Amino acid sequence: MVRTTFLLGVLCCGLAPAQNSLSVASKIVASANGFLSSLDDGQRSKVLFEFNDAAQRMKWSNLPTTMVPRAGLKMGDLSAPQRKAAMELLASMLSTRGYEKVLAIVEGDEVLKGSSGGRGGPPMFGHDLYYISILGKPSVNDPWMLQFGGHHLALNITMVGRDGILTPSHTAAQPAKYTVDGKTVRPLGAENDKAFALINALDEGQRKQAILNYKVADLVLGPGKDGKTIQPEGIKCSAMNASQQAMLLDLVGEWAGIINEQAAVARMAEIKSNVSATWFAWSGPTTNGTPAYYRIQGPTLVIEYAPQPLGGDPTMHIHTIYRDPTNDYGKKSVGH
Amino acid sequence: MVLSTLLALSLAAVADAHRLDEYLQATLIGVTPGGIELEIQLTPGVAMLPVLMTVIDQDRDGRISPEEERTYVERVARDVELRVDGVQAPLALLESSFPTVESMREGLGTIRMKLRTARTGHELRFENRHLPQISVYLVNCLAAPSDGLVVSRQQRDEAQRSIAFEYSFATIALGPFWPAAIGIPLLARLALLIYRAKRDKRSSRVRPPNAVTG
Repeated sequence: MVRTTFLLGVLCCGLAPAQNSLSVASKIVASANGFLSSLDDGQRSKVLFEFNDAAQRMKWSNLPTTMVPRAGLKMGDLSAPQRKAAMELLASMLSTRGYEKVLAIVEGDEVLKGSSGGRGGPPMFGHDLYYISILGKPSVNDPWMLQFGGHHLALNITMVGRDGILTPSHTAAQPAKYTVDGKTVRPLGAENDKAFALINALDEGQRKQAILNYKVADLVLGPGKDGKTIQPEGIKCSAMNASQQAMLLDLVGEWAGIINEQAAVARMAEIKSNVSATWFAWSGPTTNGTPAYYRIQGPTLVIEYAPQPLGGDPTMHIHTIYRDPTNDYGKKSVGH
Repeated sequence: MVLSTLLALSLAAVADAHRLDEYLQATLIGVTPGGIELEIQLTPGVAMLPVLMTVIDQDRDGRISPEEERTYVERVARDVELRVDGVQAPLALLESSFPTVESMREGLGTIRMKLRTARTGHELRFENRHLPQISVYLVNCLAAPSDGLVVSRQQRDEAQRSIAFEYSFATIALGPFWPAAIGIPLLARLALLIYRAKRDKRSSRVRPPNAVTG
């Protein structure tokens, strides 16, 4: 009941982001200022960082916040109105489906908290243990950044004028499937199903190129691997037909479409323009429901999806990473 | 046998959450015109720490001394092999760092080390033979667009303990997406030339008979 209230309450109380192209950046700044004005001086000093604070910028992880402490304000330490303002800010920066995905990941962590039982000591999981921080001053002119994350989630959203940049970001899920009031929730279900549909849409020769002959145990360019790029492998998308390329772009949209529609349209146009120079690699079986790793890599894109062989069924514990090696943290625009 | 017994005992005490019963050994290979660098990150799962401590903590005092760190890093360096053009390359330790035992106990600690050789060539083979009973491996070659590194198809074994590939350096820095880097500017140039040719043709058609150029 509490879970339903959280999930539906935040989703349905007018927080779904309005996407009016010209005013998106202004609305985001207004939401940010609304959140900041809801805080007292002490809280503001904890949530605000210099835009060029490189240490804070890189302080994100897949691990629980009790293991890798995050800076900023913890959601569990906010009052109800402050928490609402924080979620309004996040919603203003994301698309409706992106915001729903984030809520489903956070809710999954609450489920994990419930299922992990009494381990003693303070809780390691749950929606109170997510942090928010702001680097720079929210502005439609000067660059600034919002970080929101905790266990299995790290959103790094850099705003440069009207542009929104979501890379690098980490999404994950454990459990990857759960039930709330009879409704099945799969936070990363589309990332799984669309990928299996794509690998099975390739012909035998294409699949032979795409499927790597080795196991991939984890993300290669996960948290802590900023600034690194590896040699691409698999099948080059120039060897795919138009329908297969469209399926790949639709799959990429599961990450690129987390941010608000205006920013997502620009990002998808960039990725589409490079689709012929983009690679798709797969490791593992090709039957949906089995654990398989995949990577999509192009001139401005790295996506990895890695089931984790930890805590039981790997299909129930997924890690992903979304990067732009040319523009993580908006470095192309702001130069850091 | 000792490792297997310790592993079984450790797993019995394992809870849920993150890396548990594996020792993740991830290697990134940086190839430059001046040599080859290996960046190795070793992350023991929670259940693997007791196993790993039997290897590292020689005096069994529950701590890792600087001497034990040095000895372990040297062992890892001996357990990996880099061959360039078929010849084993000497590897020098550039740097290494150890996390606290406490952080490794939580499955968070990563041992980091960098090895380098000045050997250059066209064919590389790397193999990691360190603690295969308890480990999973990742090995990848870093892209180096600024050096114009071009890498052939990479060959690995199923467990990613080894990798082999041929490499070369383009005369200009193009990176792994060099076909697009060459093709797009060429197409743009071609389009510009066609546009200019058509424009010139049009203007020559409308030029009055007495017009002069210059």
